[in-house]
Amino acid sequence: MASRTKQKEEARARRLEEERQRSLKARRDRRIRSTLGIVLVAVVLVAVAIVVSSGGAKKSGLQKGDQKNATVTAVNNLLAGIPQSGNRLGNPNAPVTMTYFGDYECPVCQAFTLEGGFPQLVQNDVRQGKVKVVYKSFCTATCNGPGQSVFNTQQVAGLAAGEQSKFWQYTELFYHEQGQEDTGYVNEAYLTGLADQVTGLNIAKWQSDRNNPNLAAQVASDTTSAQSFNVQGTPTLIFKGPKGQAAPSASVPTYAQLESTIKQVS
Amino acid sequence: MSATATASSETRGRLTTDAKLRIAIGVLTVIGIGIGTYLTYTHYAKLNVLCLSSGGCETVQHSSYSKLAGIPVATLGLAGYIGIFISLWIRGELGRMIGFGLALIGFLFSMYLTYREAFTIHAYCQWCLGSATIMTLLAILTAIRFLRVEPAGPAGPAKKSVDRAERRRQMAGRR
Repeated sequence: MASRTKQKEEARARRLEEERQRSLKARRDRRIRSTLGIVLVAVVLVAVAIVVSSGGAKKSGLQKGDQKNATVTAVNNLLAGIPQSGNRLGNPNAPVTMTYFGDYECPVCQAFTLEGGFPQLVQNDVRQGKVKVVYKSFCTATCNGPGQSVFNTQQVAGLAAGEQSKFWQYTELFYHEQGQEDTGYVNEAYLTGLADQVTGLNIAKWQSDRNNPNLAAQVASDTTSAQSFNVQGTPTLIFKGPKGQAAPSASVPTYAQLESTIKQVS
Repeated sequence: MSATATASSETRGRLTTDAKLRIAIGVLTVIGIGIGTYLTYTHYAKLNVLCLSSGGCETVQHSSYSKLAGIPVATLGLAGYIGIFISLWIRGELGRMIGFGLALIGFLFSMYLTYREAFTIHAYCQWCLGSATIMTLLAILTAIRFLRVEPAGPAGPAKKSVDRAERRRQMAGRR
């Protein structure tokens, strides 16, 4: 009797064990399916994000239509009536000089020129003749991407506009319409497209001046100058005035930080 | 008796490990939320990020890759960390699944951004690298948590049946 009960219990235990094994296998299968599903969804979502991040952003740079017209108007309004010559903006006799080491393809320079303290500095101190700005070329973002040759070409394009006292219009437009890093957007069409947007620029003369060896030499001499100041990145801003020399510590200084540095040297 | 004891100690062991994983995930997400909040704040307040390397953080912060469809990636990261944190309080498989899914998305996108830092922007931001490291750890821990713990469902009744049979056997033994 006892042996029959034992046999029954053993059979039940076997059945339960089989049921448990089936259940475990079902759960394992379900979990594998869930994991694969999660991985698939994650990969698809990230792939979409990558496409949006690298494809949907500003790739070509050059603006068109109303956006371009608005940018050109904003640049012309900012610079209207301010004297300029070559790479200098402002009164040549201004007591304080801000030397701006920059790279046209550098996004931090763009941030400083468009969103940092620079527009206010131009509107107030430069316009009033208290500060003049001298732009010098120093290869950073461009040398990390397309290289020195593209850097020389683009910076010379700006200096060639400077031969017609339009350097700052060209520079501002470049920063406004800067493309995405390392996408090779700086080509002849881009550089000429910007020149076309500079109000009153003689394009034929600009094209001719781009071959002026003195302008290429100026870019090279700017690099030497940057090395003498131990410039490590762009933008680097060096203020020089009657009381000496100073530089704001922030990479993208606000107007208040620029004002504070101006006070130190004047 | 021994089977019950083993099952119960296993359950206790699992719970303990799950609790440890939850604590580790919680701590990491809190650090991530801190980084995300700081970077989001500096972005909208237009402040410079505190950075160890010269200009690396600014270069990355002002890069076109710092935004996704107009939203700063730091803000997206912050939302991800908050989501993972909330998932810790959702009971059962759903919470573990959400946590793992979010951490995996965060990890994959962090890897892409780190690749961009290295090969496109050519500058590194310690905050971003820190966040990428945290996301990597979170992806590992949430994966372990998701794969390790027995999900609810068929396991419940099957285990109960085994326990009931064991109890019956014990009662018979006592009699």
